[in-house]
Amino acid sequence: MIKLEAQPDEIYDIELEHSLLEANEKLARQNRALLDEHGTTAIDFMGAIGSGKTTLITKLVEKLKNQCGVAVFNGDATTSEDADQIEKLGVPVVQIATINGCHLDANLVGKGLRKIDISKAKFIFIENIGNLICPAEFPLGSKARVVVVSVTEGPWMVRKHPHMFLGAQIVVINKIDLADAMGVSVEALINDVHTLKPDITVIPTSCKNGTGVDAVAQTLLAI
Amino acid sequence: MHELSIASGLVEKLLEFSAHNPERTILEVRLEIGELSHIDSEQLRFCYESIAKETPLEGSILTIARVPAIVSCPHCTYRGRPDYWDEALAIAPVMTMRCPHCGKAVEAEQGHECAIKSVRLLDTHTAPSV
Ligand SMILES: Nc1nc2c(ncn2[C@@H]2O[C@H](COP(=O)(O)OP(=O)(O)O)[C@@H](O)[C@H]2O)c(=O)[nH]1
Ligand SMILES: [Mg+2]
Ligand SMILES: [Zn+2]
Repeated sequence: MIKLEAQPDEIYDIELEHSLLEANEKLARQNRALLDEHGTTAIDFMGAIGSGKTTLITKLVEKLKNQCGVAVFNGDATTSEDADQIEKLGVPVVQIATINGCHLDANLVGKGLRKIDISKAKFIFIENIGNLICPAEFPLGSKARVVVVSVTEGPWMVRKHPHMFLGAQIVVINKIDLADAMGVSVEALINDVHTLKPDITVIPTSCKNGTGVDAVAQTLLAI
Repeated sequence: MHELSIASGLVEKLLEFSAHNPERTILEVRLEIGELSHIDSEQLRFCYESIAKETPLEGSILTIARVPAIVSCPHCTYRGRPDYWDEALAIAPVMTMRCPHCGKAVEAEQGHECAIKSVRLLDTHTAPSV
């Protein structure tokens, strides 16, 4: 057996500056440049499974599709039902399957962008997937991130999962029709979000009876 | 789970380095990870060790240094450590984007990094002892 015995001078350090996020960030910048070129605004929706992302996107598409072009990327590929539901509204839908079921990345979104006619879309709504933290490290090229939470996640949801709010510009607190039944104060949740990030826009909604959906649409149109 | 994608990128970069430097063995890899990045060091280490198995990187040490967050406030002149939220129910301290001085929104200057800084190498082409 050959044994290597290192002399002290045979061990040395070298600088190797290399960002592990840069590859994705570069692709995200390319996506953004492509979108900007066409005057298209991509919005990234994230949040727990069941918080109401697909329902909210469906309502937004219904509201906006007659006044501007809309396309939807669905990264929540567990079933195709979500995509089918939106496709019925007659807008382009791209279903994106992630490799590890973790999060969308800029490469996948970039491929999606090549599948549609971007110039016809004023908005691309991207339904991100996964746990609440993963997507934060992986920008996609979107102009704003919307975190969708629902009152059914309980009164301490912001305090328990603070990290996902830090990188978002808009927070939608959904299912407020259930707030009383759940004993959850929407006011207190809004306060919690503002404690974390004072300049974030918080919009309470009920996708069931339509409350607040207009406010979300107006906020997106103003971006 | 994003630790897996980051570990894959890390291993890929290091194997590329190894392929170009066959006479050098990577003993240790030093990373800097910002306080604002949501990367779990233990998970990252686990993913790294799993992927590094049966490659020239097997047995190498991953050293992770945490980079503290620095925020600055566009509303007043504050620049420094962020404000923490004591009422949060998370295990680790939770930083906020609220200015500790004026209470308005701050911007992050430092704390998002996730990068390789340096590697420690062993030169193996010098005479081996038997
Ligand atoms: N009561 C109530 N239910 C809602 C609301 N929004 C969505 N839901 C329901 O919540 C469930 C999950 O919604 P979905 O949009 O699929 O969540 P996603 O996993 O985030 O995409 C569905 O059964 C929706 O009908 C709401 O505002 N109020
Ligand atoms: Mg969904
Ligand atoms: Zn300030």
